[in-house]
Amino acid sequence: MSFVVSPTSVDEAIAFLVDNPEARPMSGGASLVAMKNARLIEASHFVSLARIDSLRGIRRNADGSVTIGGMVPHRDTAACDLLDGDLRMIRQAAGQIANRVVRNMGTIGGAVANADPAADYLPVLVCADAQVEITGPGGKRLLPIRDYLVDWYETALEPAEIVTGIALPPAGSGPSVYRKLARTPGDFATVSVACARDGDGVRVAVGACGPAPLRAPEAERALAGQLDDPAAVAAFCEALVALADPVDDVRGSAEYRLTLIPRMVAAAIRDVTGGL
Amino acid sequence: MAGKEVFALRINGREREVFARSDATLLEVLRDDLALRAAKRGCNQGVCGACTVLLDGVPVRGCLTLAGACTGREVTTLEGLAEDPITRALQETMIVSGGVQCGFCTSGMLVTARDLVAQTVTPTEGDIRKALSGNLCRCTGYVRIVEAVTDAVVALSQANTDTREAIQ
Amino acid sequence: MKLEGSFPVSAPRSAVWEAIRDPGLMARCVPGCSMAEQIDETSYRAMVTVKFGPITARFNLVVEIEEEIAPELVRSRTRGEEGTRASTVSSTNILTLSEPEPGITQVDWSTDFTISGRLGKYGLGLMKKKVESLSTEFVQTFAAKLEEGTEAERGTA
Repeated sequence: MSFVVSPTSVDEAIAFLVDNPEARPMSGGASLVAMKNARLIEASHFVSLARIDSLRGIRRNADGSVTIGGMVPHRDTAACDLLDGDLRMIRQAAGQIANRVVRNMGTIGGAVANADPAADYLPVLVCADAQVEITGPGGKRLLPIRDYLVDWYETALEPAEIVTGIALPPAGSGPSVYRKLARTPGDFATVSVACARDGDGVRVAVGACGPAPLRAPEAERALAGQLDDPAAVAAFCEALVALADPVDDVRGSAEYRLTLIPRMVAAAIRDVTGGL
Repeated sequence: MAGKEVFALRINGREREVFARSDATLLEVLRDDLALRAAKRGCNQGVCGACTVLLDGVPVRGCLTLAGACTGREVTTLEGLAEDPITRALQETMIVSGGVQCGFCTSGMLVTARDLVAQTVTPTEGDIRKALSGNLCRCTGYVRIVEAVTDAVVALSQANTDTREAIQ
Repeated sequence: MKLEGSFPVSAPRSAVWEAIRDPGLMARCVPGCSMAEQIDETSYRAMVTVKFGPITARFNLVVEIEEEIAPELVRSRTRGEEGTRASTVSSTNILTLSEPEPGITQVDWSTDFTISGRLGKYGLGLMKKKVESLSTEFVQTFAAKLEEGTEAERGTA
């Protein structure tokens, strides 16, 4: 049998993964094939999800929520008008992933399944309170992305489960921003910050500083109504720094990352408050 | 290598039969089995861009695409763009401006730049640099490559104007 | 890369000492360990599978005891490689046991390890996080098993 199979439905893909425990689902291949080339991964089969029509497209549901299909490439997410207001940061993040050519290949489902702690999508999805739509042998389940991200490169995905979509709450009117600091455009982030205005407060998620994006809901509540108070913003930044668990790597030392967090978070808050 | 099989790929408008592992990369099959060697194997990690080809008209990395996932789709390499007017204009300006030195990155640069020029009416220098940011060149320092793309855009719009005038 | 830690176990030092010298019990406590056996007086063989996101690495390890002072100190060296020889690991480890109060054993450990080959590419920063989370998992299982054992003894006494 061929090493690459291309099912045309989610059920067919899952049935194959159940029958072949050493097979791996493959979306755009941008990370997976790179790891295969580096001999980091092995698989009995690669199950390409590229021909499953139901995983394509971004749609607004009746209740105003937005669903991004698992196989939507970064290029399409970066250009999608449905992602406006406090979801606009998702477009910005998608447009900053790697480069033009890789954005044609990589998909949101693949990025979320791979869960690289420095991936651009993770902080914006955590900031947006996105839910991950997972489909497996037991059917479909929705998991808040904060529960989905378990540890370094570890997710709640069970064997034979795939990320079939990302569910986003209805877009709020507040502005949002994705700020990324990288050694060069297209590199993984050294530190990234997603920030969305929410009433008189903000929601903030910090990427690349721990196994999953940092989020401090209590500190967010405390900051509400005080976005123009530098001391309150500084205290908020400190709460995020306290949650950070960054690594030393080629993109920066842990210490450097800790230094960046308050500066980038404060700048992102200024972005969404128009310098109150 | 064990596990080879026969499968069909549509490449540069022709149906080609290959005998390879279906989990070989498209790049390996193009170069090693079909002797189409415009796409180069640089990093094999999707970083350098030297292997860029078109899949259903969209630029992708040949090294990150599994050949077996390309059946029933249209693969176009730089060889298949030999008669494409935008590619030809880019090739000419690359030669004139000195955008080619060792030549290793050139095929990938051309496929990526062609996509930009085909989709953007008048790309700015910033647009060009951004579009080519995933194609690494270790010789030129990029200045001449960016110049070549800028010049090709001018040449193409001039050609368009000439054609329109000739028709009128 | 150096890592260290310490944790208390609600069991007497002699019981903890017995446990760390019992390959069968250790195999049940080390995350991903599918087999552990004694080769001779001072060496053990173990097979450990580490999952790191999409990457799975199966290591064949040999642990050599270099020094032991019962029931308080073990100094050992671990060497191993993946079945495919795609990466190799080695470490030197020190483990000390003290009994600050009867029935409570304090375990202090430290390790200095290197990894090379394909997994080395992932960067030591992330490896360190992985080793930390594996050691936390080990400590929880190990302490639970010992405390369980101690309680069972009390039950039969």
